[in-house]
Amino acid sequence: MSRITDLQKNLFGGTTSNARQFGMISTLVAIVVLFQIWTDGLTLTSGNLIAVVSQYSYILILAVGMLMVIVAGHIDLSVGSVAAFTGIVVAKAMQEHSLPWPLGILLGLLVGAAIGAWQGFWVAYIGVPAFIVTLAGMMLFRGANQYIGNADTVPVPEGFRKIGAGFLPEVGPDTGYNNLTLLLGLAACAGVVWREWKARQTRREMNADLAPLWVTGVRLAVMIAVIVFATLRFAGGRVGTSLPISGIILIALVLAYSHYTRNTIGGRHIYAVGGNARAAELSGVKLKRVNFAVMMNMSVLAALAGMIFVARSAASGPQDGLSWELDAIAAVFIGGAAVSGGLGTVSGSIVGGLVMALLNNGLQLQGVGSDMVQIIKGLVLLLAVAFDVYNKSQGRFSIIGTLTRPFRREDPAGTAAPPAPASDADKTKVAG
Amino acid sequence: MTPTAPNLLEMRSITKTFPGVTALADVSLAVREGEIHAICGENGAGKSTLMKVLSGVHPHGSYSGDIVYRGEQVRFDSIRASEQAGIVIIHQELALVPGMSITENLFLGNEPRRRGSIDWKSAQRRALELMEQVGLREDPDTLIKDIGVGKQQLVEIAKAFAKDVKLLILDEPTAALNEADSQHLLDLLRGFRERGITSIMISHKLNEIEAVADTITILRDGRTIESLDVKADGVNEDRIVRGMVGRELDSRFPDRTPAIGEVFFEVRDWTVRHPTSDERMVCKGSSFQVRRGEIVGFAGLMGAGRTELAMSLFGRSYGTWLSGQVFKDGKEIRLKTVADAIGHGLAYVSEDRKSIGLNLLDDVKTSMVAAKLSKIARRRVIDPVREHRIAEDYRTSLRIKTPSVDEGVVKLSGGNQQKVVLAKWMFTDPDLLILDEPTRGIDVGAKFEIYGIIQRLVAQGKGVVVISSELPELIGLCDRIYTVFEGAITGEVARADADPEVLMKQMTANKKSPTP
Amino acid sequence: MRRTLIKSITAVGAAALLTLATACSNEREGSSGSDSAGGKGFSKGSLIGVALPAKTSENWVLAGDLFTNGLKDAGFKADVQYAGASTTVADQQAQISSMVTKGAKVIVIGATDASQLATQVKQAKDEGATVIAYDRLITNTPDVDYYIAFDNFKVGELQGQALIDGMKAKKPKGPWTIELFSGSPDDNNSKVFFEGAMKVLKPLIDKGDIVVGSGQKDIKQTATQGWKAENAQQRMDSLLTSAYSGKKTLDGVLSPNDTLARAILTSVKGAGKPVPVVTGQDSEVESVKSIMAGVQYSTINKDTRKLVAETVNMIKSLQKGDKPTVNDTKSYNNGDKVVPAYLLPPVIVTKKNAAEAYANDPKLAPLTK
Repeated sequence: MSRITDLQKNLFGGTTSNARQFGMISTLVAIVVLFQIWTDGLTLTSGNLIAVVSQYSYILILAVGMLMVIVAGHIDLSVGSVAAFTGIVVAKAMQEHSLPWPLGILLGLLVGAAIGAWQGFWVAYIGVPAFIVTLAGMMLFRGANQYIGNADTVPVPEGFRKIGAGFLPEVGPDTGYNNLTLLLGLAACAGVVWREWKARQTRREMNADLAPLWVTGVRLAVMIAVIVFATLRFAGGRVGTSLPISGIILIALVLAYSHYTRNTIGGRHIYAVGGNARAAELSGVKLKRVNFAVMMNMSVLAALAGMIFVARSAASGPQDGLSWELDAIAAVFIGGAAVSGGLGTVSGSIVGGLVMALLNNGLQLQGVGSDMVQIIKGLVLLLAVAFDVYNKSQGRFSIIGTLTRPFRREDPAGTAAPPAPASDADKTKVAG
Repeated sequence: MTPTAPNLLEMRSITKTFPGVTALADVSLAVREGEIHAICGENGAGKSTLMKVLSGVHPHGSYSGDIVYRGEQVRFDSIRASEQAGIVIIHQELALVPGMSITENLFLGNEPRRRGSIDWKSAQRRALELMEQVGLREDPDTLIKDIGVGKQQLVEIAKAFAKDVKLLILDEPTAALNEADSQHLLDLLRGFRERGITSIMISHKLNEIEAVADTITILRDGRTIESLDVKADGVNEDRIVRGMVGRELDSRFPDRTPAIGEVFFEVRDWTVRHPTSDERMVCKGSSFQVRRGEIVGFAGLMGAGRTELAMSLFGRSYGTWLSGQVFKDGKEIRLKTVADAIGHGLAYVSEDRKSIGLNLLDDVKTSMVAAKLSKIARRRVIDPVREHRIAEDYRTSLRIKTPSVDEGVVKLSGGNQQKVVLAKWMFTDPDLLILDEPTRGIDVGAKFEIYGIIQRLVAQGKGVVVISSELPELIGLCDRIYTVFEGAITGEVARADADPEVLMKQMTANKKSPTP
Repeated sequence: MRRTLIKSITAVGAAALLTLATACSNEREGSSGSDSAGGKGFSKGSLIGVALPAKTSENWVLAGDLFTNGLKDAGFKADVQYAGASTTVADQQAQISSMVTKGAKVIVIGATDASQLATQVKQAKDEGATVIAYDRLITNTPDVDYYIAFDNFKVGELQGQALIDGMKAKKPKGPWTIELFSGSPDDNNSKVFFEGAMKVLKPLIDKGDIVVGSGQKDIKQTATQGWKAENAQQRMDSLLTSAYSGKKTLDGVLSPNDTLARAILTSVKGAGKPVPVVTGQDSEVESVKSIMAGVQYSTINKDTRKLVAETVNMIKSLQKGDKPTVNDTKSYNNGDKVVPAYLLPPVIVTKKNAAEAYANDPKLAPLTK
């Protein structure tokens, strides 16, 4: 029994948040497997994976920013409107003032930054709750979008469309795959090996227990297998397709922001502010600056997401951004963030977002209507968070422990204390 | 109370286990009718669990053993059931709604009704009666948030009377009260005794227990150690401490030979306005000095302005700064933000660990380095190895009891949490540490250790300011004590002259002697 | 120690790679690039995707049902999808992608926002599917193959003429006071309806026989966002308070469809004004009742049955590899190309000809008796 818990601990890390992520990842895998079978293998075809990535990358980008906002103890309801507003401004600038598209992107990011500064100012320096500021922003920028766009649909130039609908070019010898995607996959494999090695080194320096080598090996093998599989799928689509450019933007952002939130002083400060703002302030954290930065960052990412959507749709329309904020917020909460702030990870939010995306996609492939899809998504959100709350009230969570409970009675050593509570006991004693 | 009074309550062989841990093992408790019964024990000894068993928080069936109350075996399965039997527990964290009036709070969940709607007239009348019983003189329409903690406590007790209490259980009733309010509360308990109401009191304040209790039951590690009759056994504080920790504590304070150096930190004419009220000054021209290697105490009643003074110095974290200067090593320094203060070698360990001292979501190591992340970062990226090593070092040197530095701080006991907070501020390498109530809610053993840490800090030539509401602590620990009253420093007492009476006088009567 | 680690990684990794590589069937071969419409046809029983807007009007619901049954009867597999109510564009994009993934041979699209589907239409085209724009022309893309709809310019003309006729019947001599409403600005058809109607109305407005009471004659002012009844009602409410406060009467309202017509009538009733002549379109049940009761003046019968039937015919000929019939190869330029179109003639319906017009409609025919 304890060997199984050890294994779980070694493979996924022992802490509660990791257990939570383990839960989410298994849900994701379950959804993929379920739909893969249900749709006769359509879910994991190259074409579908590519479509899913380009369809949901902008929501996932929003989820990254939203995670930070929620961790800091706020919420941003305005992202959809900000995205739509940026979209129309950029589209108009390019169409009517023939702004070259790279400058268009720059303009969009600047618009996002300006809006973010506006919202951040009210939240951080005046102290208006973010819920109110962004609710106002939601109306304000939706209105601004209609004012500028006259509710028209404004097409964007071909070059600009690349960031939403573009693919990596085909270069090099004909390998039957998109070569650049293969290279990216190779880099990713090297990356995970390097990271694992680095992690072992760190643990050795800390004099912490090292996981047995075979465990590391298995974990690496699993990760590499996933990467290789994904690479071949994304590289093996129709000629002219590859990992979508929007997907590459997303991956770059996820890597950068996970690093930032986990390993830097700035990231720590966001968690500190969300966990206990007053304590953070008394520890020298510049509360206002953190709040400002988080809100501003969100709007910049919303602007980027808006532009990617417009690029993918080839035009900016009056319906852009409608209820995106809800999708992004749902992804973050499914990914294990706490409503009260201070908890949550970028990778968790991405997994949460992917759960929603694949659910959506799988149901659509099955021809389930959008009304039912909404109902199912709503239930998933509720259950995911309820599950979390329930686990918290029940102490620690152990999926494997739960799964193996029925067998434990037959265990000859049935007197052994159940694993999770046993470790709790140590703590209780310490707390005594 | 008569010595032969029958037992109102008997708890026999109570055993309560949580998965993997035994919180109570064969605990027995006998409370005679009409007495004040104190339950003592270190944190985690099982006092609260025992009271939870009694009040039905842990329902019948989740523990083994019997409870006999008023001669009958009882099985409470909820708080409601125990309250109906007249057992009312008043927790340390008061269960009052701040935005409601005294009357509304008194009858919350128990509102007198007439024809379906609340009968406010009779509620008001009853409220006045109840308030009279506990000696609370306030307009019953006053909002809870507008009265002090002491009076709030009285409201809680009055609430118990509204439920027709037979057995009143008070968990650390004076922990948040100042000297005068505590005294009032103890008098009140004595008064209840006269009227035949039985009380059980859980407290860390041994002097209070000694003063008021008839019987003392001591718990340790989930077992009953002994039951003492205060009068018959001639109980004093040392006797109780011995029972609680299982050994004699030679001294409540570790030995120390002060090595006091030059004045290095000085505050002149510090004046701060209340954050919301324009009229009120929370610091009125306060001036004080700290020498290297010196422990300076700040004595004062609750709300005298000690915390406000400390926090306003610490990067203007409280109120509106009006005037005053701060000098360190003879040079004036400006402390406009917390970062400035930390940069100039100040550290402030707050009074309230849980609400403003720690991020309870953090683990031990993250908490320890939180106030000076730059020390473990290279180009703003945190070095996990260094973080881990530093945390391990503190864990060993401060003897923090935790299975690992990756443990969440929320799982640590109060004493260990306080050590984590101390580590956090020691890590900033301060010259002056301001410790606000550093031992509140901490058991005897941990207190001793924290005094030891403070003494080690001053031995390194740092200055330490201790704010405390416990005079014995200040007298035992400090080289010099300033007294504070209504925002002004009213006196300065050297170690040799410090005794509770002198301090109390200066803390309560505004002697016109502003120190130079 | 490190060497064993590397060894085990390479071993397990290589094994995983091998299994995966063999398991991964490369999809590169199957792609057919630009298999233009008409070509070789496809097997009977293939999947046909139909992506429709949100269920905001009876017509779309009816069309969905008709497609499901019609395609099934013709031997195809049908996948009919509606966009969600709040996330219409994104939903429709995802649905079209899913249809492509499932290998639909023909995708019929009733667009929610006709200019935001270029990427998906291209994706469909690249996978060899034929794209038919149903009712609304998809713009800004060269990848639309056919357009099938009622002649919407004609619809506008008929509406304009009906408005004039109706007002003349009530009040033989002008000048008549009217208000103009147009459809959602993100729907390409809105403009076409409006232009058709204005072609008839403009000369009379210029002559002064017809007066637009509020002066709002520009399509940007008359637009009804999202074709939403509440928006039309709100606008009508404010027009009535601002321009028709005193005894000024309103003789007619140009309404682009029935849902909006009813919203406008509700507003007028609410204000206590006499009922003006109001046009409509779509032959919705409530409006037909209203016409029979003498409230709404006219509607347009665009028989969804006919339109769906013609679309299914088009799919049938594509299946056989024939070129489908079109009757307009000049008028419908979507910004990138002129899309060959098959246009059906609309019919104006007033109380007079209702019985005749709906004789074949099982739902509407009883209402006209």
